[in-house]
Amino acid sequence: NLMGVRLAGSHVDTQEPKTNPLVSISDEPETLYKRLSLLVKSHDKAVLESYEYFAVLAANELGISVEKVYNPPKTIERLTLLKSVHIYKKHRVQYEMRTHYLCLELKHLTSSTAAVYLEYVQRNLPEGVAMEVKKTKIEKIPEHIREPVWDTLPQVEETEVKS
Amino acid sequence: MGALGTPGTRDTGYRGHQAVSHIHRVPDGTRLLHTTPACLKTRAARVRVGKGDKPVTYEEAHGPHYIGHRKGWLSLHTGNLCDEAGAAERALEDAFLRRFLRGTFPGALADAPVLRRRGNVLVLSAALTRALPPPKLYFLLGYTETLLGHFYKCPVRLELQTLPVRVPYKYL
Repeated sequence: NLMGVRLAGSHVDTQEPKTNPLVSISDEPETLYKRLSLLVKSHDKAVLESYEYFAVLAANELGISVEKVYNPPKTIERLTLLKSVHIYKKHRVQYEMRTHYLCLELKHLTSSTAAVYLEYVQRNLPEGVAMEVKKTKIEKIPEHIREPVWDTLPQVEETEVKS
Repeated sequence: MGALGTPGTRDTGYRGHQAVSHIHRVPDGTRLLHTTPACLKTRAARVRVGKGDKPVTYEEAHGPHYIGHRKGWLSLHTGNLCDEAGAAERALEDAFLRRFLRGTFPGALADAPVLRRRGNVLVLSAALTRALPPPKLYFLLGYTETLLGHFYKCPVRLELQTLPVRVPYKYL
């Protein structure tokens, strides 16, 4: 009787395999990416450094190989405007907007891994930070150029041409 | 030489080979100073120095050239980054939002509100003094969020923090 009580709420006797409704399995071959390049832009360098730590940690945890992490040089957009409302052309004021970059290159990804990683990393983008993603796909060589043309042509006997 | 003696000649200052002897050695360390007239001092985004009785917060005490060094950004969005669009729209929205918050909480704002945009969500963070009782504060919070959500067609979240007193950084 006590055995029955202990097993009352447990799922010991159910034989159904546990299927996660969020995971879908399909038979289509996955597109392979040779390189996934993330270019992250921000006005604040400290935010970029913190985001770099986070993105590299996420990649390592998911088993994605990180090829290169580097900082392209910053771009400064400068404006020179008139300081005064009416005249005083000789007195101007200068403003500048600095954009710092962070480039993260990951190699050898499948499309589902890339989708998961990108979704996670983009949901946690801080405010004021923009990201550009470039994917390099690997495709099979098309049928018509798989073999060199000179191998497919029929053999022609060489005749000497006297000039 | 003899420029003044002979009549009919003007002293043009040209001495020819004699010019070298008239150059005086400039003493080291002198520089010409160019001053602007007093009316054209930069006045942008800074509180002018007064008698010493005006309390000023850390944000107000530092001028705009300290942004990124001693100050942070009050409005965080991607509009002003290189190759990104929407700077003018964000600037207009920011101006309206600051006026709206200043009007909804009259006299209660302790410091400038921080506006952040993450995806579609607009997060407004403001620090208030305890001028209003909590029920009124919660009503104004809900009112702001609903009205701005309907106006800008995006989820708006207002995060309020109350302080007992507006803390001055220094007196100008």
